[in-house]
Amino acid sequence: MSAEDGLPVLPHLASEFYTWLWWSSETRGSHFSLAPPVGDIDLWVDARLAFRNPDDTKLTAVMTGDNPGATLEAKAALAGGKVLQELRLGLRRDDREYQFTLKGPAMHLQGLKLPQVVDQGGAELVFERMHLYDEAVFVVQGLFRQFSEVRTTEAWSDDVLPALHDWVLGVDEEA
Amino acid sequence: MGILGGAMTVARFRVEGQQPEEGWRDKYRAQLQDLAFKEPPVEQGLEEVEGWVEVHNLLDTTFEDFNRWLYQDVALFALRVDKKRLPAKLFKATLDKKCEAWAAEREVERCPGSVRAELKDSLQAAWLARTLPSVGVTEAAWNIPEGYCILHSLSEGMADRFRKRFYRTFGMTLVPWSPLEYVQGDPGRIDALVACAPSPVQLGGTDVRLSQGRS
Repeated sequence: MSAEDGLPVLPHLASEFYTWLWWSSETRGSHFSLAPPVGDIDLWVDARLAFRNPDDTKLTAVMTGDNPGATLEAKAALAGGKVLQELRLGLRRDDREYQFTLKGPAMHLQGLKLPQVVDQGGAELVFERMHLYDEAVFVVQGLFRQFSEVRTTEAWSDDVLPALHDWVLGVDEEA
Repeated sequence: MGILGGAMTVARFRVEGQQPEEGWRDKYRAQLQDLAFKEPPVEQGLEEVEGWVEVHNLLDTTFEDFNRWLYQDVALFALRVDKKRLPAKLFKATLDKKCEAWAAEREVERCPGSVRAELKDSLQAAWLARTLPSVGVTEAAWNIPEGYCILHSLSEGMADRFRKRFYRTFGMTLVPWSPLEYVQGDPGRIDALVACAPSPVQLGGTDVRLSQGRS
């Protein structure tokens, strides 16, 4: 594969990453300790979850509003075999807060709201916005690296998948 | 909303190609100028017209002032695409009337196809001359040392158009972003991720107890 061909885009990997983010954010109380130099961040599911059937690209269920990740319908969609196609997230690193949607197999950043640091226009504004965009991507990279470390080991099938299953079923809440 | 303000919705690309070691600022400016948007003649047809413009004002196309488009090593520019459209139903109705008038004037039942084609061309030219185009502007930011470019659109059609023009302009290829690039530098990890089969998604199965959820 040449550099100009690019790396493959794997739809199931994005869906699994989104599910892992959702589950992790709920079970860790939104706190993530990522490998240096990213460090500690807070991450939570914000105002939108969108699902598709595994063999299709069209959205089949969308949950919006306050804290849609905690709704019965959202977990029911997972339980019914749907997979995540879009995930709206809130992110805090130090005192900077972002909101963005991870969209589709390529994990595009959609509707990325940046913390307002500079009010004036001109060069400062461009530098600041590009720097903040880079920081958002930098954190997503840190999250994906942590996910990929788990996903490529036996811990995924031995620990994560059973825990995800219990989480969807509400087993912890029952206990 | 765009790269300069509001929420950002961006597709990301890796820039592949040899960058000039010296004089790249002047070279890139000349290349942008070569394929900058050129105001089409009034009699522009139905074809699309495209070219680079500066992000601060779509009527600025000179790229003369570096301070207006090059921020240290980040180049900001936008692709403008103009297209004229005619109201199809109104156009057809008007053409039908013109054909009827032509036939009535000559006391024949209907006008031949060749005449209809001539009337259509002249009507289209007349209407296009007084029609303003719809104008689309899509911003992009190219971080030159980091080797990535972001396009403020998730449209695949726009991405294809942008990639082609970027290549024609700079001779460099835009490679669509893959999340696997997040683990670039760890080839073993990339191979392992590629080898991962989809996990079972039927997480709940038929025994899922929905009453345990919160709503």
